[in-house]
Amino acid sequence: MSHPTLTPAAFLKSRRPLAGGLFPATVLIATCNGALLIPQAWLVASIAEAALFRDVPLEALWPRFWGLLALFLLRAVLTWTGERVAFAMAQRVGTAARAELLDHARALGPVALAGERVGALATSLVEGVEALEGYFARFLPAMITTVLIPLAVLVAVLPLDWISALVLAVTAPLIPFFMILIGKGAERLNQRQWARLTRMGARFLDAIQGLTTLKLFNASRREAETVSRMAEAYRRDTMSVLRVAFLSSLVLEFLATVSIALIAVFIGFRLFWGEMAFHRGLFILLLAPEFYLPLRNLGIHYHARMDAIGAADGMIRLLNRSPASRPAQGAPYQANTPVGLSFEEVTVTYDNGVKGLTGATFTVSPGEHVALAGPSGAGKSTLVNLLLRFVDPSAGRVLADGFPLDGLSVEDWRRSLAWVPQRPHLFQGSIADAIRLGSPDASLNLVEEAARQANAHGFIRALPEGYDQPIGEGGNRLSGGQVRRLALARAFLRDAPLLLLDEPTASLDGESEAAVLDALGRLTVGRTVLTIAHRPETLRAADRVVWLEGGRVVEGSGRRPLSGITDPREAESQKGGVA
Amino acid sequence: MRSLFHLLALLKPYWLWVLAGILLSLVTMVANIALMATSGWFITAMGLAGVAGAGMNYFSPAALIRACAILRTGGRYLERLVTHEATFRLLAALRRWFYDHLEPLAPGGLEAYHSGDLVARLQGDIDRLQGVITRVVTPILAGGLAAAICLVFVARYDLRLALVLAVLLALAGLGLPLLVWILGREPGRAAVESAAALRVQAIDHVQGMAELLAFSADENHRSHFLAENRRWTKAKTATASLTYLGQAGSGLLANLALWSALVLTLPLTMGGGAGGGAAGGILARPDVVMLALLAMALFETVAPLPAAVLGLTDLVTSARRLFAIADLRSDSARREGLDAPTPDRCPLVLERVRFTYNSGPPILEDFSLTLEPGERLALVGSSGSGKSTLVALLVGLCMPTAGRIILAGRSARDWNPEAQRRLFAVAPQDARLFTGSLRENLTLGHPDAGEEAIARVCRTALLEDVLATLPEGLDTPIGAAGATLSGGQARRVGVARALLKPAPVVLLDEPTEGLDSAMGRELLTRVLADLEGRSLLVITHDAVDGLEFDRVVEIGGRE
Repeated sequence: MSHPTLTPAAFLKSRRPLAGGLFPATVLIATCNGALLIPQAWLVASIAEAALFRDVPLEALWPRFWGLLALFLLRAVLTWTGERVAFAMAQRVGTAARAELLDHARALGPVALAGERVGALATSLVEGVEALEGYFARFLPAMITTVLIPLAVLVAVLPLDWISALVLAVTAPLIPFFMILIGKGAERLNQRQWARLTRMGARFLDAIQGLTTLKLFNASRREAETVSRMAEAYRRDTMSVLRVAFLSSLVLEFLATVSIALIAVFIGFRLFWGEMAFHRGLFILLLAPEFYLPLRNLGIHYHARMDAIGAADGMIRLLNRSPASRPAQGAPYQANTPVGLSFEEVTVTYDNGVKGLTGATFTVSPGEHVALAGPSGAGKSTLVNLLLRFVDPSAGRVLADGFPLDGLSVEDWRRSLAWVPQRPHLFQGSIADAIRLGSPDASLNLVEEAARQANAHGFIRALPEGYDQPIGEGGNRLSGGQVRRLALARAFLRDAPLLLLDEPTASLDGESEAAVLDALGRLTVGRTVLTIAHRPETLRAADRVVWLEGGRVVEGSGRRPLSGITDPREAESQKGGVA
Repeated sequence: MRSLFHLLALLKPYWLWVLAGILLSLVTMVANIALMATSGWFITAMGLAGVAGAGMNYFSPAALIRACAILRTGGRYLERLVTHEATFRLLAALRRWFYDHLEPLAPGGLEAYHSGDLVARLQGDIDRLQGVITRVVTPILAGGLAAAICLVFVARYDLRLALVLAVLLALAGLGLPLLVWILGREPGRAAVESAAALRVQAIDHVQGMAELLAFSADENHRSHFLAENRRWTKAKTATASLTYLGQAGSGLLANLALWSALVLTLPLTMGGGAGGGAAGGILARPDVVMLALLAMALFETVAPLPAAVLGLTDLVTSARRLFAIADLRSDSARREGLDAPTPDRCPLVLERVRFTYNSGPPILEDFSLTLEPGERLALVGSSGSGKSTLVALLVGLCMPTAGRIILAGRSARDWNPEAQRRLFAVAPQDARLFTGSLRENLTLGHPDAGEEAIARVCRTALLEDVLATLPEGLDTPIGAAGATLSGGQARRVGVARALLKPAPVVLLDEPTEGLDSAMGRELLTRVLADLEGRSLLVITHDAVDGLEFDRVVEIGGRE
């Protein structure tokens, strides 16, 4: 779903249908609750009038007292139910928003998200949506009562005393007018404050994830100053928002107080001159504060709206980035035999205009093991991103077994490949979970077997909790080599016909490097393998080397191995010649 | 509860603000109640006077009403300003306080915590403490005082009513909050924890998305995320439902107070004719309406208490999560030690060093090494042979289990950690880049480095071609944690960043990782030529033959 040029307010409104029947239910309950105020005030006034002005004995008043009590109870139940329904509505909208944001981020894909700050996205997903929920749980119900209750009060007062009704009717519009006037400024301030909150979250995540590095450079104390500075700036921004908000409620309260006082004075003197019955006077006076109360509450909950508007900004920005258009449903694909690949004049242009590949052409036969080599920035990673379907060619095409890749179901295609990235991310969970990433139903036996093949079984067994050892992000306590071997085990378990490797032997010691190469040798049988390679050993292990430079294939585009590149050392010198 | 007192202790520097807030709140509440009561009295008295055709002094009650109205509106405004100012000063100070406690723990002491969780503490948990002044301390103290003052006032008219009101107030101010607190403790804690867990999941999902997609694990992880969201929603719904019960209950009790006031005081006026203002019964007729409205308004003093108590559960949970980190102690938290100026020459000696991690198998055993000032040494060995541990030991991120490390003639134990780290310019194996421009990243260890120096390290670390492709050169933002750079580019930025830091010893841990062999050799050649007398320790598993190292040391390949 895309939201072209949506304002935050329109965005909030567009979420309303997600609440389903809960929204009308909230309105209905609020209406009943407000309408019951009128008989309640009437009963109180009639009791006081009867007892104080007509000396009606208490015994005769009991029916009215019981009626009053019943009204009180009913209104308490309605209040409780109404709030709960509104809260449920907010939760429903919030959950839908979280799912939508998550799915949209996924549709954009990791390449498009590379420029986004993870902390900011996480803030949007958690706190941002919570602010959205606040709007639906608090502001929206308050707004409904603000419309309904004053209207009900006005309707009740008008036939009894047109002067009081006039005061109410004249002052009521003044209040929203002033509030909008002040609220406009506050909204801008608030959006700035929310932006600062998001930035602060991103900065904190950056600092905490890089704390060791900061420390090595003795910059972690300096970072403390930054934390102070950002926290201070956040305080100043928050206070400038609040000062405006408080000012608007000051205006509101002042207006409300003045008009109630006016009504009281008019009623008081007419009572004094005997122009009005006490019953009516007290009834109107009891209702007058109720007329302004919803407006006051709206002022209190107005910040919920401002928070939501601020948070919506970040969401709209994310949702406005439209994912690369893809056919919703690709052709089903299932590869049981090694995949043959063919790149035909493939050009990839990233969003920021940088070209990842410019007219790359080469083929990979089924079952072939091809190393991708070349200086950094030559397009090796882009080729892998292409095969992972994180980017699509802007020109040319990629064929898998003769089918254009972009015509295949992305899901199906990815199921046919396994990938070992350069910097594996280890998710919150256990070691076994980490290996099971691509095959969640694999038995522990299979997991152990995969770990054995990746030469990881030994160190996993040595961990205090073995395969159940919890690992955090980045696999704390695991060395770089161990993390790599877990990622290899993951790929072994995946057992896919196409294998994408990113310098698989990097940071493995000689012994496990030999073991991994040996295991890779077994694994590559009957599979197509593409390896990003820098090291001579990796180049040597491949059937053929494809040299890339500046987004083009400069050597090795053909099917047969190039003569003279059997020795990678030699290959390097050849490449040096090209450069 | 201990966390609560601990938290209140942190309020100390702001006690004047807090006290001012309480007084303003008290004035506001009393003025508001008085306004309602006086208005009720005024109307009734005017009505009775009108019926009786008698005169009355309406100037004094009118003046009182005006005064109360002004006090109420102005007081409320000032109170909110003061209490919020205090709150946000507190929060800003708490963030610094928390970071200051967190910083010495890295890296060893924080392994058990996900960074998303730590950020949730630094941001969300501290934010959740914002209710401590506005929603807990002020309403409880000011509300209690205001209620007491009003009860004394009522008791002068009718002791029975005062007692009934006291009971109803106790129910609204103590009974309901207690009920809400007991029932809300569990879901409150669950909600805070779920929020943090959800944040961790969100970060995992975004940061690990490439792998989730590649391994078709995205649906699975998404359902975990949504399941956590459901748990959070459930816990929040439970607490919210209790809050609303508190609100509805306290509204009902306020109405009951009005009801009781009418039932109790109306009979006291009976007997006198309608004509007499204060004539007849024990109680003057206008006083009945005054007391009834006062009784109802009185509950504004306790209305915020159930929410305050619920907030208290959240507050205590969040406070506990903060103190859990702040109270951690770590070896690396030592602050004392020699703070010597950084020497120009810094010989290193490691004597029979042994290192084991948490009584596991030794990672380093009987390891000895010397590095003379100006010497260029390559340490070649496979990973798992403890090379990276060596870096951590040298820069003081961990301490040897046995053996000695001598830096510039002094034992590593005697160095102040910051002074010790000033000795080294390190490019660690897992070097992290930060969101910001390339320049900001390069100057991390030397914030006032000049253009010339930066250009020079960029040349040495083979960054010129990278720079050429960046639209704004050094000032180009490099994405979240350097995400727009390739692995090899990021590695070279790490090396350049280290070289720029003015320190007598340069430590490079696997600087050629992710570079092709030719580029790796070119990088080392340039580094070796550009040391200006600094010592160099390169840790690598690549062959270094043919490069101009003074010495090459192999270390064991045994794990």
